[in-house]
Amino acid sequence: MRKTSLLVCLLVSFLFSFSQPSKLPEVDKSPMDVSYYPNNYPILKIQNKATEPLVARILYSRPQKQGRKIFGELVEYGNVWRLGANEATEIEFYKDVKIGGKKVPKGRYTLYAIVSENVWTMILNKDTDTWGAFKYDSKKDVLRTDVPVQKTDEVVESMSMLFEKSATGISLIIAWEQVKVTLPITL
Amino acid sequence: MKKNLLAVLLPVIFFSCKEPEKKPAGNDIPTKTDATVKVLPPVSNYTNPDRSPMDMVYFPTDYPLLKMTGKTTTLPLMRIIYSRPQKQGRQIFGGLVQYDVPWRLGANESTEMRIIYSRPQKQGRQIFGGLVQYDVPWRLGANESTEIEFFSPATVAGKTVKPGRYILYCIPQETKWTFVLNSNLYSWGLEQNRQKDLMQFEVPVEKTSLAIEYFTIACEKKSDKSTALIFLWDDVKAKLPVSF
Repeated sequence: MRKTSLLVCLLVSFLFSFSQPSKLPEVDKSPMDVSYYPNNYPILKIQNKATEPLVARILYSRPQKQGRKIFGELVEYGNVWRLGANEATEIEFYKDVKIGGKKVPKGRYTLYAIVSENVWTMILNKDTDTWGAFKYDSKKDVLRTDVPVQKTDEVVESMSMLFEKSATGISLIIAWEQVKVTLPITL
Repeated sequence: MKKNLLAVLLPVIFFSCKEPEKKPAGNDIPTKTDATVKVLPPVSNYTNPDRSPMDMVYFPTDYPLLKMTGKTTTLPLMRIIYSRPQKQGRQIFGGLVQYDVPWRLGANESTEMRIIYSRPQKQGRQIFGGLVQYDVPWRLGANESTEIEFFSPATVAGKTVKPGRYILYCIPQETKWTFVLNSNLYSWGLEQNRQKDLMQFEVPVEKTSLAIEYFTIACEKKSDKSTALIFLWDDVKAKLPVSF
């Protein structure tokens, strides 16, 4: 009796999982994610615990390592990379900031990177709502700045980004595989 | 071998069958007396992708791809950012997502939390029986309110909307959904600030023949300047006409 009901449940759940019409968008295998500074700002906001105003938000798609060698292979050295998957990574500032000594007016930007073994060149570009780095146009660059590459002990499976507070403002941390870079943003 | 298989499938079974006598295995069960939102751990480590992953929809559909391939030179008209909860064998509308209660058009964790925390006595018991037990700890990530951005003036269900960024949520009922545009941006979808509601649109819902596993928002194109935003989950489909 019990066995039968388990079986029915099983069947039902399988049916559900295979019953999606094909024209609807599937969930992406490099899912989109978002990071804020202050971290978790939307939660802090509804709890009335936000002590600082919203400064920045980054929207990016998170590719997985899946046993592949990433830097130097999947993400080739010397090429402009969309800093994630699918749509190019978007960073938005809600106030004017400074990056690499240059003033950045508040607004939406695309963030790219040219990776190499020891240093990444971070590129802030004005052309938003674009796919990948296929149509990257350096004439629309706002700035470029070099950041050193650090190594992490653990292997980061899903490409990750988060903001941290720093002495002069905030830092954007980017980590994947065993590579970590820090982009300083002065407030 | 068979035992292993069963162990793997057990969570699936638990999701689809309500067995109230089973005790939860997790250690993160919210109690009914909690009146506040659960405090999240600090983001000190790299998190895994969210179990209700975020997604983005443009109109024109796939705008970034069109732009990249040179098929469009105009600006996008609209963009929606939302999180995609899964059905996982549960009853969604009238169950997990309650009728007459504002829903953030997105991830399931928050909807569950909302009910547990803000209406503990009646609805907590009614809805969750078995469900909350199998809930996983709340992850960091993508459970914000659904955000909609219009890049040019739009007409939504006959009403004029100024360009800009809004929160979109809905109040589902069995036969109709009331969509609400709200100005309380960058807020977690757990509760809506109703004082910041801007306008409402009431639309009838349809039933689909197949149950949709992932909550889905898509654009059903009518013309270059006109689309229907479709919202699909479980066997419910709601349409919100938008033109520019």
